[in-house]
Amino acid sequence: MKKAGGKTALKRSKEGDEEQNQIFNFNRKPADEDKDDDLSDSEDSVYSGLEDSGSDSEEEEGSDEEEGSDDDDDKMKEKKEGEVSEEKKKDEYEHDSSDEEDIRNTVGNIPMEWYKDFPHIGYNLDGKKIYKPIRNKDELDDFLDKMENPEYWRTVHDKQTGSDIVLSDDQVELVNRLQRGQFGDVNFNEYEPMVEFFSSDVMIHPVTNRPADKRSFIPSLTEKEKVSKLVHAIKMGWIKPRRVEDDGRGRYYNLWASEDSSILARHKMHLPAPKIPLPGHHESYNPPPEYLFTDEERALWEQQDPADRKLPFVPRKYSSLRQVPAFSQFIHERFERCLDLYLCPRQRKMRVNVNPEDLIPQLPKPKDLQPFPTTRSLVYRGHSGLVRSISVSPSGQWLASGSDDGSVRFWEVCSSRCMKTVQVGGAVKSVAWNPNPSVCLLAVALDSVVLILSPSLADKQVILSSERLLSAQQEGEEPAEGNGSVVWSEAEGEELNQGLRLKIQHPKAVHQVVWHAKGDYLASVMPDNTSHLQVYIHQLSRRRSQNPFSRNKGLVQCVSFHPIRPYFFVATQRSIRIYNLVKQEMTKKLQTNSKWISSMAVHPGGDHVICGSYDCKLSWFDLDLSTKPYKMLRHHKKAVRGVAYHRLYPLFASASDDGSVIVCHGTVYNDLLQNPLIVPVKVLRGHVMTHDLGVLDVTFHPTQPWVFSSGADATICLFT
Amino acid sequence: MSQIQARFFTEDKRYVVDDVPFSIPAASEVQDLSNVINKLLEAKNASHSKVDFDFLVRGQFLRTSLSTHMATEGISTVWPAIVLKLVWIYCIKILTGSYDKTARIWSTEGKPAMTVAGHTDVVKDVAWVKREGLTSLLLTASLDQTVLLWEWNSERNKVKARHCCRGHAGSVDTISVDPTGTKFCSGSWDKMLKIWSAVPTDEQDEIEEPADRPRKKQKTQQLGLTRTPLMTLSGHSEAVSSVLWCDSEEVCSASWDHTIRIWDVDTGGMKTTLTGSKVFNCISYSPLCRRLASGSTDRHIRLWDPRTKDGSLVLLSLTSHTGWVTAVKWAPSHAHQLVSGSLDNLVKLWDTRSCKAPLYDLAAHEDKVFCVDWTESGLMLSGGADNKLYTYRYSAQQAEA
Repeated sequence: MKKAGGKTALKRSKEGDEEQNQIFNFNRKPADEDKDDDLSDSEDSVYSGLEDSGSDSEEEEGSDEEEGSDDDDDKMKEKKEGEVSEEKKKDEYEHDSSDEEDIRNTVGNIPMEWYKDFPHIGYNLDGKKIYKPIRNKDELDDFLDKMENPEYWRTVHDKQTGSDIVLSDDQVELVNRLQRGQFGDVNFNEYEPMVEFFSSDVMIHPVTNRPADKRSFIPSLTEKEKVSKLVHAIKMGWIKPRRVEDDGRGRYYNLWASEDSSILARHKMHLPAPKIPLPGHHESYNPPPEYLFTDEERALWEQQDPADRKLPFVPRKYSSLRQVPAFSQFIHERFERCLDLYLCPRQRKMRVNVNPEDLIPQLPKPKDLQPFPTTRSLVYRGHSGLVRSISVSPSGQWLASGSDDGSVRFWEVCSSRCMKTVQVGGAVKSVAWNPNPSVCLLAVALDSVVLILSPSLADKQVILSSERLLSAQQEGEEPAEGNGSVVWSEAEGEELNQGLRLKIQHPKAVHQVVWHAKGDYLASVMPDNTSHLQVYIHQLSRRRSQNPFSRNKGLVQCVSFHPIRPYFFVATQRSIRIYNLVKQEMTKKLQTNSKWISSMAVHPGGDHVICGSYDCKLSWFDLDLSTKPYKMLRHHKKAVRGVAYHRLYPLFASASDDGSVIVCHGTVYNDLLQNPLIVPVKVLRGHVMTHDLGVLDVTFHPTQPWVFSSGADATICLFT
Repeated sequence: MSQIQARFFTEDKRYVVDDVPFSIPAASEVQDLSNVINKLLEAKNASHSKVDFDFLVRGQFLRTSLSTHMATEGISTVWPAIVLKLVWIYCIKILTGSYDKTARIWSTEGKPAMTVAGHTDVVKDVAWVKREGLTSLLLTASLDQTVLLWEWNSERNKVKARHCCRGHAGSVDTISVDPTGTKFCSGSWDKMLKIWSAVPTDEQDEIEEPADRPRKKQKTQQLGLTRTPLMTLSGHSEAVSSVLWCDSEEVCSASWDHTIRIWDVDTGGMKTTLTGSKVFNCISYSPLCRRLASGSTDRHIRLWDPRTKDGSLVLLSLTSHTGWVTAVKWAPSHAHQLVSGSLDNLVKLWDTRSCKAPLYDLAAHEDKVFCVDWTESGLMLSGGADNKLYTYRYSAQQAEA
């Protein structure tokens, strides 16, 4: 190698001398190493020498011969100088290894330079000096030898003995092998096929055939001992179970804890910018013909305000994309888009999704509100005209009905048998049974007369007491009433046998009679818009009549007494007025919001009023709550004719011209905070429509949840 | 299961068939089974005429096909029995009260024997007290708040009012005579039950007259000797609609206040209250099966066990009527049969073993049925608002008017 380097250096020296030194310097170091190698390792030095000569002889034999010789000389000198200076620095014990001792020379492994000045180079086994061969070989000889001796390349100088050794072919081969990194032994095969003893395959013959130890399949006693010791220790509390480390605290920490939550919230509340709608066929440069404007459309488009236009441009058709001009609105459109992005509201609207079903208050099922009338059980037939009015006796045994055929009939409730018929000679407008259970009287209104009947359908005591009530005034002074318009008169003759007792002649046609709860007072209504004489209150025991109102506002439809307190309800066409009879003043005015009141009923508790009207509405008033209706029920298809409360059960009913009676559940709570619970429970049908009139009156049985209805078809129905 | 092994039993000697199992198609119904029996009987006896039979399967009437019946009842093998059918013909007089203020005595052939007139108002209820030879005692209750005790001589065909029982303050709606025939109980609209002696005597009970009552008026109304109640039972809050004697010490009453109350006559106290949800129109007690049957305004007939203490146990509901049930009556000689009348113009014969549907609908009336009864011999009677009294024989085929 160094030879090659030298040679290149030589070639260069021809080119320029100034570089020569450098080249030599460059070469010096490898040369020194070579020398050093020579000293330490004989084989290496042999090898380098061989290499050198070999390469020379093969490659550059002819051409570089003369130059090479010159060169060699220079080099040798260099070598010598270098050797001397370098050797001294070297650690002399570096290569000391006694097992490599060459037994031909007993000086050991010492630097042979020490014997430089001696004629011998050591001692043989016998102690005799080994003399240096007569080294008269100088450089020239050496060169000649190199040139002439064909064995020169395999000749090695043995420093120990000072003799040259010619390597045999085997040795050369060995050197070559070692140089290639191969094993020295030719016969050694480093790639022998591997024999797998322990493989996944189950062999017929086991690697080892020893039977398994007994201890491998019986529980270990020592282990058991250890385990039992541990168990005992755990039981005694000497060993505590390893504490589970609390990972929630300390070991980990929330990286985002200190982060402002609003930032996170904003990330969560990310609202994407509004998207531009994708271009459609309108925007196409070559749209289908139906997208192109017709003349009218175009005219319309031009007429419209730019804000109202459906399209901000006019679709146009071009034969090719090349001909499409620049979009004149481009800047404007971009600007609009920017405005959109900038001004669009970036706030999430929390839309409340409310199921409409949930807003409806939870009403109990009608099934749970039993009892209420459900089916028609009995039909009371016998009248020949429409039955205007019905009334049930306070005991619940009798039913009185007044009809347009001029008769009042008394029915036994439980068998629907007509017990008595009283011909009164005129269309009966209203009948009312005296609510006092100790008397048995019926007030009948027809034309301009109010009749008091004693139907003698009760205990003899009761009949007697009612007779006494009627005749009480007889002994006293005669007509005491200063009011000349009302005339009281006794019934006579045949009428007496029929049960007629008293006649109260009114100046005008009477439409309604109603009793006070005590049974002594009786109010009658004579609707008349022009007069102030519309309502009379009669006292039966003293046979007195009085007109409680000096002035009436509007047409009085019906009146009613408060069941407990001295209040008087007057329903005019649109409103209900409540008067205090003791103080003689109006306490309340209820606005019904209906056009024409037809009927009214007062709750037995006295705090609630229902009112039916000809415009199909039924309004419930809570007197404590407001003067406006608490609830309006519009279940009827036609005018409501009659309404009624049940005395005991929380029921009320309304009768209508559509031929139906609607029974509603209406619980009233004593608690002032709780509003009444009103649930329609049943539609009862049983009457035939006659002359466009359906049910005319409705009333409840006093003790049972039964409802009576009288119809224009001349029948009365009992629903139970 | 296409074929069923069945054995047929009957208590009627005429219709006995061999006691061997027959293989019968499972789908066969009552008519098919009846045909089978008829065939068998014809084979045995040439003179046999065809009869329709009913079948009891483990005490339940067969109404559907055998297979479905077995499926519903959970029976695996069936031994139907022929229901014995008897024809009752017996002679007894019938007493009716009516809204024309009279009571009438009829023979079972439908001929009026006697009219009993004396009440000033509608006769609401009537009852036989007892018969002793040719004379018999009968009671009529009326809306005029009295109960009259009459003596009827069937030979001379004369009635004589023996006693006028006064005391009620409302119409007397119901009366019932105790099993011994010495007492009777009346229920009234005035919510009271009163117990009276049914033995005719010649003395008049003392009544405290109201001082102001006109004496002459009372004299004219008097019919028979006045009698006052032995005992008054009050507790109902509504009209009493029906009373009966469970035995000689117990009175049971039904009322419009939705209760049935059982009273002890000896002490005059209330023993049990059975509470329903609707007005009771009528009750009937059968000593054979010890059940109370009640008819109410909600169209159901309910069977009660009066011995239960909690007092609200309905054993069965018989539902087929479409109007108020105005009358129920247990058969006097049959533990399972009862007859009911309703405002829907129908009289129905029920068997409690087949509670889903009545045995027969007796649709003779043209108007509301108000009362039903059985004669001791098993004839059924019903009276209604169409002013007719029908008698029915429960015979093999159908009822006859």
